[in-house]
Amino acid sequence: MLTRIVTMLLIAALGYVPGVQAADPLVVSVWGGNWKDTIDRVVAKPFTAKTGVPVEFEVGGTIDRLAKARVAKGNPLVDVTFTTSHVARLYISDGLFSPLDMSKLPNAKELAREAIRSEYHIGGWAYVYTIVYRPDLVKEDITRWSDLWKPSLRGKIAMPDFDPSHIITIAALMEGGNEVTWQKGQERLRQLKPSIVAFFSTDAQSQDLMKTGQAPVQVMLSVNAYHLQEQGLPVTLVQPADFPGIVGIDTMAVMAGTKKAEAAHQFINLALSKEIQTQLVESLKAGPVNGGATVPTKLRGQPGIFVAPAEWKERGYIMNDEVRAKTLPAWREWFTANIVKK
Amino acid sequence: MRLLLLPALGVLTIFAVALGALFRYSLLTFVPGSLQTGGLTLENFRGVASPEYLGYIWDTVVLSAATTVLTLVASYPVAYALARASSRAARSWLLVLTLAPFFTGAIVRTYAWILVLGNTVVTWPVPMLFTERGVLVGLVHFSMPTMILLLAAAISHVDPAYERAAASLGATPARVFWRVTLPLSMPGVVSGSLIVFAWTLSAFPTPELLGGGKVKMIANAVKDLALDSFNWPGGAAFAMVALLLTLALLAGVGRASTGRHAE
Repeated sequence: MLTRIVTMLLIAALGYVPGVQAADPLVVSVWGGNWKDTIDRVVAKPFTAKTGVPVEFEVGGTIDRLAKARVAKGNPLVDVTFTTSHVARLYISDGLFSPLDMSKLPNAKELAREAIRSEYHIGGWAYVYTIVYRPDLVKEDITRWSDLWKPSLRGKIAMPDFDPSHIITIAALMEGGNEVTWQKGQERLRQLKPSIVAFFSTDAQSQDLMKTGQAPVQVMLSVNAYHLQEQGLPVTLVQPADFPGIVGIDTMAVMAGTKKAEAAHQFINLALSKEIQTQLVESLKAGPVNGGATVPTKLRGQPGIFVAPAEWKERGYIMNDEVRAKTLPAWREWFTANIVKK
Repeated sequence: MRLLLLPALGVLTIFAVALGALFRYSLLTFVPGSLQTGGLTLENFRGVASPEYLGYIWDTVVLSAATTVLTLVASYPVAYALARASSRAARSWLLVLTLAPFFTGAIVRTYAWILVLGNTVVTWPVPMLFTERGVLVGLVHFSMPTMILLLAAAISHVDPAYERAAASLGATPARVFWRVTLPLSMPGVVSGSLIVFAWTLSAFPTPELLGGGKVKMIANAVKDLALDSFNWPGGAAFAMVALLLTLALLAGVGRASTGRHAE
């Protein structure tokens, strides 16, 4: 009798009650703030309702999470990872992602071709890096990338320094090159230097610079600009008339070594369904990857929102992920030495 | 008794292993577009010996030295008042005002400076935000509470009888300060300066936010290399060089200041 009581007490102390053990949660790695909240509300909750598998999140910056994944290689702390399409190449190069089993992703058949980035990672939504400005502080219309070089915008522009690939590619495109022949745009970029008032390292810094008016013109993520509009800040997103915005695709992947590959695939498949994609469009103001998703009329044709398959190429420029991942260190080195430094 | 040393030895071992791992990484070849590293190389150290990275080191040392001097000058009067104010209420208020910044995080304080330095609250005659001037203001503000407390402790140990004796012999207040108070409070000046100089050498959030990407100190450059360029071996090499430089500088400054104090 005493033994039984002690056993029951020990089981209770360990938090284990036979018959009501909670399912092992699926751990999803994602950016914090609005990104995590949206994924939780739009994807994780319906996933748990459908499968009974709870979802936990590991939040952090793109590279922080990559670093964590690397040290946990072989015994991953997370099961599904959201990351940008080119940083996913780094995960792949280190064997951190497991190949996707497309037979378990039936919704992938409805995806835009551009969304399937590799056999390891698949797009969840799209956006563009484009020009965003505050018309209350900039008294002229900005309609083209070339407008950034106008003397009237001197000391008003901010752009990311952690990843200058967008402006480097745009400058190269303007000079008849592309991300591979990026050197063609170097001289043009040097001419832009006096116009840049600040560089930002995070989305939060970018938004603060816009809110305070310190940098009322920015090369900015369309999703962040829509977020600022929702907060009541009067910002205008430009659909540049001369060259398209640079497309970004946030992707999902299953971690190599996960013991919950089945649930991970179910989660990704649900995120790709047209119903969930419709909600993601409304919440994030990002472009759907599933062509069957419903896009509200007010968002159709807006920067970063692609509806018809042809729009991906007509209204956006998609960089080669591998070229971007391999060349980014060289881009950063040149950009820091020639544009960032005084 | 020796057993009591075990926790310290444990911590030291962990740090030594971490430093060893960092050193090992700094000798591995960086492969662009991959997290895999190649064989052993000294190329990373050659890379950080370039003018660009030496420039970051120079900027950091200059900013740290300027921060130390300005913090000392700005903090001494406050510390003196804190140590010598006759009114207990005044001392309490000064102490509260001095400690108040400790209760707000460094990030919050820095964001407040973005507003103040960015012409939204005050219109500055020269650009402040995203310049070395702005970063300097932020670093001085960040360092002042610690400097004030260290100086106040040192000044409170100076017996006012010495100052009264000097004054009674005809010394002006300025002469009393220069010949009596300041020399006797040198232990506080030296320890405060060393601490402020050391932590400013590794400053990260203040230059990151107030520098707007244009003012970079060593820690920002290491982060850029390792986290933004994915060049972890390069970041490790720069961190190693910066660590050795910091230790050498601190040893030099410490030896110079304690030597002079002993004379």
